[in-house]
Amino acid sequence: MAMASSEKAAPAGASWLSAVLRALGRSWAFILFFVGFFLFWEYAIDIFSIPAYILPRPSEIVTRGWADIDRLLYYTYVTAVESLLGYLVAIAIAVPLGLAIAFSSFLRRTIYPFFVSLEMTPKIAFAPLFISWLGFGLLPKVIIVFLVCFFPVVLNAILAFGSLNEELTRFIRATGASPWRAFFKVRLPAALPQCFVGFKYAAINATVGATIAEFIGSDQGLGFYIQIVTGNMRPDLAFAGIFLLTLLGLALFGAVTLVERWVIPWHISQRRTH
Amino acid sequence: MTAAAIDIRSATKTYASGTEAVHAFGPSSLTIAPGEFISLLGPSGCGKSTLMLMIAGLLDCTSGEIELGGHVVKEPQTSIGIMFQDNTLVPWRTVRGNIELQIELRGLPSADYRATVDRLISTVKLDDFADRYPYELSGGMQQRAAFCQTLVHRPDVLLLDEPLGKLDAMTRESIRRDLQSLWLEDRPTVVFVTHSIEEAIQLSTRVCVISPRPGRIEKVIDIDLPWPRDLAAKRSEKFSAYAAEIEEIFHGYGVL
Ligand SMILES: Nc1ncnc2c1ncn2[C@@H]1O[C@H](COP(=O)(O)OP(=O)(O)OP(=O)(O)O)[C@@H](O)[C@H]1O
Ligand SMILES: [Mg+2]
Repeated sequence: MAMASSEKAAPAGASWLSAVLRALGRSWAFILFFVGFFLFWEYAIDIFSIPAYILPRPSEIVTRGWADIDRLLYYTYVTAVESLLGYLVAIAIAVPLGLAIAFSSFLRRTIYPFFVSLEMTPKIAFAPLFISWLGFGLLPKVIIVFLVCFFPVVLNAILAFGSLNEELTRFIRATGASPWRAFFKVRLPAALPQCFVGFKYAAINATVGATIAEFIGSDQGLGFYIQIVTGNMRPDLAFAGIFLLTLLGLALFGAVTLVERWVIPWHISQRRTH
Repeated sequence: MTAAAIDIRSATKTYASGTEAVHAFGPSSLTIAPGEFISLLGPSGCGKSTLMLMIAGLLDCTSGEIELGGHVVKEPQTSIGIMFQDNTLVPWRTVRGNIELQIELRGLPSADYRATVDRLISTVKLDDFADRYPYELSGGMQQRAAFCQTLVHRPDVLLLDEPLGKLDAMTRESIRRDLQSLWLEDRPTVVFVTHSIEEAIQLSTRVCVISPRPGRIEKVIDIDLPWPRDLAAKRSEKFSAYAAEIEEIFHGYGVL
């Protein structure tokens, strides 16, 4: 028994290692470029004698950022909460609304054109207003994130639920399936890939919205931090903040991608083969 | 005299209206008796799919009417089996799951159809692919899966829109034979769209030749050949005579 399990463990470990090696092998060009980019940055500062208050070295960004890590991490947490709350509320409202608009010709003639024209408005332009109405706290940030996430989700949801192919629509009608049954067995799964297009787009917008909202009026968060340290001529710390914002954006996008893979594996695998 | 299974009475279809109008089909009439196997044979765009959808109640006749099982068709007919020209397999279900979708959408108990599903899957030789997803199948295999999806609830009227269109010659021959034995056994009423003259003659009790758009049923030819019609039957003189007769008609239209 022990023998058997250790026998099994060995190839499993080896396959894990070989998977990592294979992944490295696939992305070596990217890694090389990445490392090269930062090396170039590091030494270009000397070569072109750029002063540190204009552009710091990557190594300085890391060491100075590390010295202020407690504040940075707390502010990352603040910005993450704002982004995530606004994002989730946007999805919770936009998906059912998109569904309703897709299935109601009345809503399609009224709210839909309104949304399409609002889509052209840069939502971030509302940010100063919300800050002035609601103050420096969490709520105006969540509302601004909500605004920048809401439209991509609702418009993609309308598209998703409104564009079942004609042959499948006929198939459903020919079976005499009840609307509920047709919805859960065909319409909903068929709509999910297009919905996720909206979710991913909104995930990218979420941290952008939170950062700009913090620029405009706040006393914490990475956007606030970047603005303050830039004012104090500390671009090294600003870059440290930007780096954490990037990680936050990547984490949110990565999480959505993981959920997508889990919810619609058939779609992902289909995309991989073609 | 038994009632007609399908009675098409001066049915026409015009898509859109005004200057956009496309006169797609008719007016044409045809009475199909229960247990008949009718082929619709005609050039692309002559309204075969249109007629099929009108029989199924998925498209309204612009004028005229169609009766199915003694009732005028006014809404989608759920008692029949229809195989659409583009297959209706969904990407999130396996072959088996897609066949069962027909059962589930109808609210029938899946358990009761287990054996039927298995039998159909092996009839079309998809046993090894029952648990694969559509994207893992070739076009022809997808069509065979869609064929099973159409038959699984055992309808006694079948509307098949080019069910064998994407199959290679060999698979096509073997599925044809299966379709024929299935029909000989259960005697459903079949309306079968095809572009193959040979296929139409081999399978049908009657072949309807449809003119180019706007399609009309120009000629209905009784195929008086013994069943089952195997390869030997296809080499018979009578078979060739039917083929020549139909080719002649299409030649007249300038489509052959
Ligand atoms: N939804 C539609 N709107 C307008 N015109 C249509 C529509 N569907 C079909 N038509 C027209 O009706 C005619 C008949 O179409 P149909 O699909 O019935 O032909 P078909 O005989 O099935 O052809 P094929 O053999 O190529 O499948 C065509 O000329 C087509 O352009
Ligand atoms: Mg057609």
